[in-house]
Amino acid sequence: MTAYVLRRLLLTVPTVLGVALLTFLLFNAFGPDPVRVALGQHATPAAIANLRQQWGLDQSLALQFLDFLRQIVTFDYGKSFVTGEDLATQLKAGALVSLSVTAPPFIVGGIVNVALALVIARWREGLLDKTSRALFIAGMSISGLVYVLVLQYVLAFMLGWFPINGYVSGPGAVAYLALPWIILLVISMGPDIRLYRTLFLDEANADYVRTARSKGASEGRVLMRHVLPNAWIPIITNNVTSLPFLILGSFLMERFFSIPGIGSLTIDALGRGDLPILKAVTVLSAIALVLFNLLSDLLYAWADPRVRLV
Amino acid sequence: MLNRTPLPTALAALLLSAAALLPAQAQDLKVLTYARTGQFESLDPPRQFDSESHDVIAMVYSTLLRYAYLERPYKLEPDLLERMPELSADKLTYTFKLRKGVRFHDNACFPGGKGREMTADDVIFSLRRFADANLNVKSWFLMDGAVLGLDAFRAATAKAGPKGDTSKLAIEGIKKIDASSFSIKLTKPNPLFLFSLASSSTSVVPPEAVAKYGDQLSANPVGTGPFTLAKVERKGVLRLMKNPNYHGRYPTVGAAGDADKGLLKDAGKKLPLVDVVEMPLIEEAQPRMLKLLKGELDWQGLDRANFSKMVAKKGDDFALTPEFAARFKIYYTPGIDNTYWALNLKDPLLGGNKKLRQALAHLVDTQAQIDVLSNGRGRKLKSIVPLDLPGSERDTGAATYDYDVAKAKKLLAEAGYPDGKGLPVLEVMFSATTAAARTSADLYKARFAAAGVQIKPDFVDFPTYLKRVESANFQISDSAWQGDYPDAENFYQLLYGKNGPPGPNHSGFNNAAYDKAYEASRYMANGPERVALFKQMNEILRDEVPVVLGYNTLRFGIQQNWVRNFKRNLMAPEFMYMDVDVALKKKGIPQ
Repeated sequence: MTAYVLRRLLLTVPTVLGVALLTFLLFNAFGPDPVRVALGQHATPAAIANLRQQWGLDQSLALQFLDFLRQIVTFDYGKSFVTGEDLATQLKAGALVSLSVTAPPFIVGGIVNVALALVIARWREGLLDKTSRALFIAGMSISGLVYVLVLQYVLAFMLGWFPINGYVSGPGAVAYLALPWIILLVISMGPDIRLYRTLFLDEANADYVRTARSKGASEGRVLMRHVLPNAWIPIITNNVTSLPFLILGSFLMERFFSIPGIGSLTIDALGRGDLPILKAVTVLSAIALVLFNLLSDLLYAWADPRVRLV
Repeated sequence: MLNRTPLPTALAALLLSAAALLPAQAQDLKVLTYARTGQFESLDPPRQFDSESHDVIAMVYSTLLRYAYLERPYKLEPDLLERMPELSADKLTYTFKLRKGVRFHDNACFPGGKGREMTADDVIFSLRRFADANLNVKSWFLMDGAVLGLDAFRAATAKAGPKGDTSKLAIEGIKKIDASSFSIKLTKPNPLFLFSLASSSTSVVPPEAVAKYGDQLSANPVGTGPFTLAKVERKGVLRLMKNPNYHGRYPTVGAAGDADKGLLKDAGKKLPLVDVVEMPLIEEAQPRMLKLLKGELDWQGLDRANFSKMVAKKGDDFALTPEFAARFKIYYTPGIDNTYWALNLKDPLLGGNKKLRQALAHLVDTQAQIDVLSNGRGRKLKSIVPLDLPGSERDTGAATYDYDVAKAKKLLAEAGYPDGKGLPVLEVMFSATTAAARTSADLYKARFAAAGVQIKPDFVDFPTYLKRVESANFQISDSAWQGDYPDAENFYQLLYGKNGPPGPNHSGFNNAAYDKAYEASRYMANGPERVALFKQMNEILRDEVPVVLGYNTLRFGIQQNWVRNFKRNLMAPEFMYMDVDVALKKKGIPQ
């Protein structure tokens, strides 16, 4: 197991290096000039040269890339080009807020969606299955933006059950986060339940399940004791690979509900050509994705000993 | 002698500091709420040049001059000054006398946390800081080349670098006379220089705050303005508390009709009139509008999506639809901006064929662009100057080109391209890659095709656009200009020969008669003589067509009925003049 973990960990190094190189080239070599974005159309050549020097953009691309690698290793991304604020502090604060938006519906959704999928799978092709299928497929074909617009209008504005938008730090945040949580939960239901239902049904038709049934096991017992444990691996994959996106936040929620998370930080940075933020978020999310994929592989190895031998 | 604060002032300050810690609505304070639509870049005056930063800085800091709230056309008046600066006989030296008793806000940067009186040293310190090349001041162009010795000082700061000490370097043109007066000597007579002293980027900052907070001054603003900022929240709610020591008073003079609208009822009253201004950041239009409809915001600009639901056009005027008319108030005003198509005169096809340029001018359907794509939120321009500025078409009565395919065809034939035959496809650069830019391009394409002219749109991001117009690497560019100060000169300079690429004259227009008239009008006071020169320039532009004029945007907004004293002022935030009728606000929105 240790050798497997070490091998996987070593493999992440070239992946992260590749991502760093791509990110760097995308923004530094091919992206719009951040100095021009910052100084606007009144900029004089002297002012442009001066700022380029201050930001280290007058150095060769190789030196700039080395500096970028140093930033990745030391987690010191310097300061935002636009606001001059320390990035590590901003990213940390933003990530925590983003987590408070996305984590609760992720956890609750994980439990509720698996449970509902089990119930639907139990009575497959019944009225509940058919109705929910139609509802979920219709729901999945609607953009997430529509859910935000409609639920904000109906639940917050018309019925007044929630604040229209806003955010405070501390326990008071719950009042402001409740509606985004509900929306995220509703959005996740269609795709997740459909996926889990299919996974359960795939397992439900396997030989060992048929054997269990032929031995007289009840349908409930078959689902809970045989189907569910064997369907865990793809469910783990689906959930673990979503984890980095929890930290990256939900841009739509943050934007429509004025929540100061990392999602809105990235979009603002895109609009303003704030290179340090863009590079930091891109490379950090890539690293998170690699690490969580690794975690998911380790969980496989733990759940299924055959994986360790590959 | 000990500096003693009068008891009522101290009490008021204490109450307001306590109030800063509580949600404003919970107390019986006059609160004005307005949503910020974007994040500010910096609250350190010289480090910003965006409207979000400007709105907040102008409430916390003060400048030597400011724009009169009610008078139109926009006019400068003293802010930190006792009176308007005096100009020497040679028109080169301005002498400034500071208003007495103006104090900085209480802040930990001062001994004992007590704000001290502002002096000429603070003004000079702030001007030196504005000129520091290491601060990357975007609005440096306002003083570039204007003050004797200031450019040399700027060069020295660039050479010294961000950590170098240039505090001992003298600036030839800036002299302290005594604690409350100083003078500024210009390189040449230039009345436009005064506009730079009303820009929020030249706000007066105390050296103590810069020494204490350094790069973090944005998070700790210390000014002499009408409000203090309890806590700087880039993304949350900015809560600005009334400064009880503020020096300003409500104007006693307004524009014609202002008195009838009740805008002079508070004439002479001490400012600000409200206790708190709350500014939550709400970047999306829907939550902003829902909060306004619920009465949680007092006023708000009107975005395009809500505009079509709430506003009806009546001839040339606009009014709220019946559903909203009894509940809210609407306002609109022309922006200090214009749009235009710059035709690159260095381009061999366009540069050498005046008739072709005239033909193209007849094919740009600006009115359709306004009506179809902007819901009518613009006024087609007949001169390059926005409508609310002196010297606009309201004074000059200039004529322009209308969309007219027949005339365009005739001119095309005269240009050597009957029905567009033989004319290469024209490339039009748009400085955005948005859906709106693409829709706009589609409309133009169809209009041009009616005369047999093919255009090919090229959508680029803003930095690429800048790079290309500055190197004259385009054929036609869809351009716009946001005024830096409210004077016609700022728009006529867009075609001044010496401002050719990389300057703002993207067309590279170079016409001796135009330049002569521009130079004569540049520093001239507004009046018939200046208008005559503007007319002459307009005629040249109409004949030569280096640009095809577009439109002047209209800015719309909606307010609650309980908001008082509001008049949109695009040069200075209105908050300190505005008031809230608390009794009416308690009753809520009329249903």
